[in-house]
Amino acid sequence: MAEFNTSVNDKGEISVVSLKGFLDAHTANVLENTFSNLLEENKYKIVVNFEDLSYISSAGLGVFMAFIEKVRENGGDIKLTSMSDKVFNIFDLLGFPLLYEIFKSEDEAINKFKE
Amino acid sequence: MIFNFQRLFKNLKLQAFLGIGGILLFFRLFVNADGSLPLMIISDLLVLITAAALIIFLIESLNSMTLNPLSLVMNVGILNVILFCLITFSGSIFKLFFDNVSERIQNPGVLLYLAVFVYSFIIIGCMSYIFMVFKELYFLRQKRNVNVYFNTMIVFIFLASVTYILKDYPELSFIKNTFIIITIILIVINSLKISWIAFIVKKEKISLLILSVVISVLFVVNLINSTDSNLHSKIIYSFSPALSQLTTIIMLYGAIYFGILFFTVLFHLPTAEAFDRKAQEVSSLQYFSKLITEVLDFNDLADTITEIAVKLCNAHASWIVMKDDSDLKTIANKNIGFVDANLLNQFIFRSEKREKRYNTFFMKLEKFDGIEKLSEKYSNLAIAPLIAHNELKGYLVAAKKNELLFDEEDKNALDTFSDYASVAIENSRLLEESIEKERLEKELDVAREIQRKILPNKNPAIDNLNISSVFIPAFEVGGDYFDFFDLENGKFGFIIADVSGKGISAAFVMAEIKGIFESLTKVYESPKEILVKANNILKRTLDRKTFVSAAYGLIDFKSEVLKLSRAGHCPIILVRDGNVENIRPTGIGLGLNFSSKFVDSMEEIEIKLKENDTFVLFTDGITEAKNVDLEDFGDHHFERVLLESINENVDGIANKVMREITEFTKNTAQHDDITLVILKWKSAHNKGGEKI
Repeated sequence: MAEFNTSVNDKGEISVVSLKGFLDAHTANVLENTFSNLLEENKYKIVVNFEDLSYISSAGLGVFMAFIEKVRENGGDIKLTSMSDKVFNIFDLLGFPLLYEIFKSEDEAINKFKE
Repeated sequence: MIFNFQRLFKNLKLQAFLGIGGILLFFRLFVNADGSLPLMIISDLLVLITAAALIIFLIESLNSMTLNPLSLVMNVGILNVILFCLITFSGSIFKLFFDNVSERIQNPGVLLYLAVFVYSFIIIGCMSYIFMVFKELYFLRQKRNVNVYFNTMIVFIFLASVTYILKDYPELSFIKNTFIIITIILIVINSLKISWIAFIVKKEKISLLILSVVISVLFVVNLINSTDSNLHSKIIYSFSPALSQLTTIIMLYGAIYFGILFFTVLFHLPTAEAFDRKAQEVSSLQYFSKLITEVLDFNDLADTITEIAVKLCNAHASWIVMKDDSDLKTIANKNIGFVDANLLNQFIFRSEKREKRYNTFFMKLEKFDGIEKLSEKYSNLAIAPLIAHNELKGYLVAAKKNELLFDEEDKNALDTFSDYASVAIENSRLLEESIEKERLEKELDVAREIQRKILPNKNPAIDNLNISSVFIPAFEVGGDYFDFFDLENGKFGFIIADVSGKGISAAFVMAEIKGIFESLTKVYESPKEILVKANNILKRTLDRKTFVSAAYGLIDFKSEVLKLSRAGHCPIILVRDGNVENIRPTGIGLGLNFSSKFVDSMEEIEIKLKENDTFVLFTDGITEAKNVDLEDFGDHHFERVLLESINENVDGIANKVMREITEFTKNTAQHDDITLVILKWKSAHNKGGEKI
């Protein structure tokens, strides 16, 4: 089974979650836990960095849907950055760009929060 | 009439004792045996039989209890002290009530006689109990059948006692002396049978050592006292010479037995520890075999482990802490509440360092600041790590209350036992896992069955449209769905969809989707409208992380137009005139958004159909099919294959695609459902011409 892990870096009040590996039905719970922990700490400004993510399945996309409502209710957002073309294509097909802000780089996303 | 013979028999023993005692009293009160040897012998016999009846009764009633040799020895010690007091103070007590006891004893009145009788019976009671203890100790842990020695000894004790009366006849005293000598020899031989001391632990051996020397000395003192011509010996002798001899013999037996016991225990002490360890191993093995039988149920197993742990080190409470990812979970708490156990866990594992220990370790709770929060006064803990496959799985914790300490023996016992326990826990977990796996496979069978029944079992045969479809379910069922709707007014609808996630939940959503589209297509025509309505319906049932990508198309055979909308699904590929075109109207996946954004994003496009237009519907199981290097089959590869085979009929194209995918993915497992639907437009004009 392919590996997947997340790491969280706090940049001011913004939490940057970096994903690595394969995000599918089997590893989705890892990301779920990461988000749950952030929400427990009342961290609602979240940037997700996809730079090292090799693959995302529909179950992986579902994780974002599970949390976005609560995050936005609390005045925060989940912004997505640094996707490979392949990963972006998956998001794009499903219409995610209409629902999420997707940026080329992490800094852009962070700056957007600071505005 | 039914007789409970066993009960009667048991009562008989008590009745026999009381009966014989009564006869004895009657005999002694009303028959003057003085000077008559036969009558005195009868009287002695009656005394001995009374003692025998009492011993048998005592043995019977003792058998119903579990025997601890040390407590038996202790009892003998207490009786000895009582005997000592009786022998020493009997004279003074008798003198309080009766004058000139020494003289009158030869010819007592009724009252004095009754006093003598009661006194003698107390002595008989003490002697019977002591003798009973000897008998029990003798047969304790004896492996061979050694009845013969003991029974012979009993016979000679009896003979020696009875013939004691002959001491007044010097010419016959050799008989008595012979019997006594043989009795003593037999006593010595029988006193050597003390293998039971090997089976008691070191601590008990030390107490036994002290007890045996004290008791042995007491026996000697009592022996000397009772052979003195004090009032005690006079009373007993006047009551029954045989009893006086029996008393002497039993005290002698006691002195010899406990003397030998003392020295044997003394010599056993240095090896006691090694023996203890061996015995420990043996009992651990017994526990282990018990654990093996419990392995089928993890909870039972855990309960048994804590139960044994409590017994093993005389702890008050025990529980297991299992490592669950980074969390510690309390299970199988024995004699302790979850709250207390969790409080103690926090204390034990407050620093990471504790978790690196691989041997049993002790902890005192005096430094635990939450100690007053505990409902019981736990004071000491012993913690044994549970390790399987070199990996720490958890801990077995035992707790003692009231300042009681754990010692090295407890540590060794826990060390050994926790090894066994770890193996048993690991086995149980593996078993549970494989059962769970089997259950999951059954569940997947159900999901596959649902999927198979939902998908169309054959392709519709339509004049202007050639249709081929391939569906290959993955081992873990995905939520692929496709369907065709032959509508009224010369129209034809088709759908392809993919539910996010896998397994039985995806299969259920898929079933729901089928129901939704079956009904919506009967009422609405517009693909956009149908997808928007479907999204609204799904809002009520889908959980937030589940969504469905779908594409719906409607072909109007009269106007030769395809209307198409897409909700987050892969593009529809159109192969026309040797070119590949990805048809990708905008649209968000079903279940991702329920606002006007969804409606606004949804496009509906129209395509005027041309002869041999080939529409390829698929799910990402095709483009994301992986080879051994985890590379995707990919869009380009897919398009190339389609172009290469485009001149074949629809089944031919589908076969070619599937062959390519099979070739590409060989030696890897299929990780998602594969769905491929190919529609080829055959213009009505051509068809019409052929037909007519």
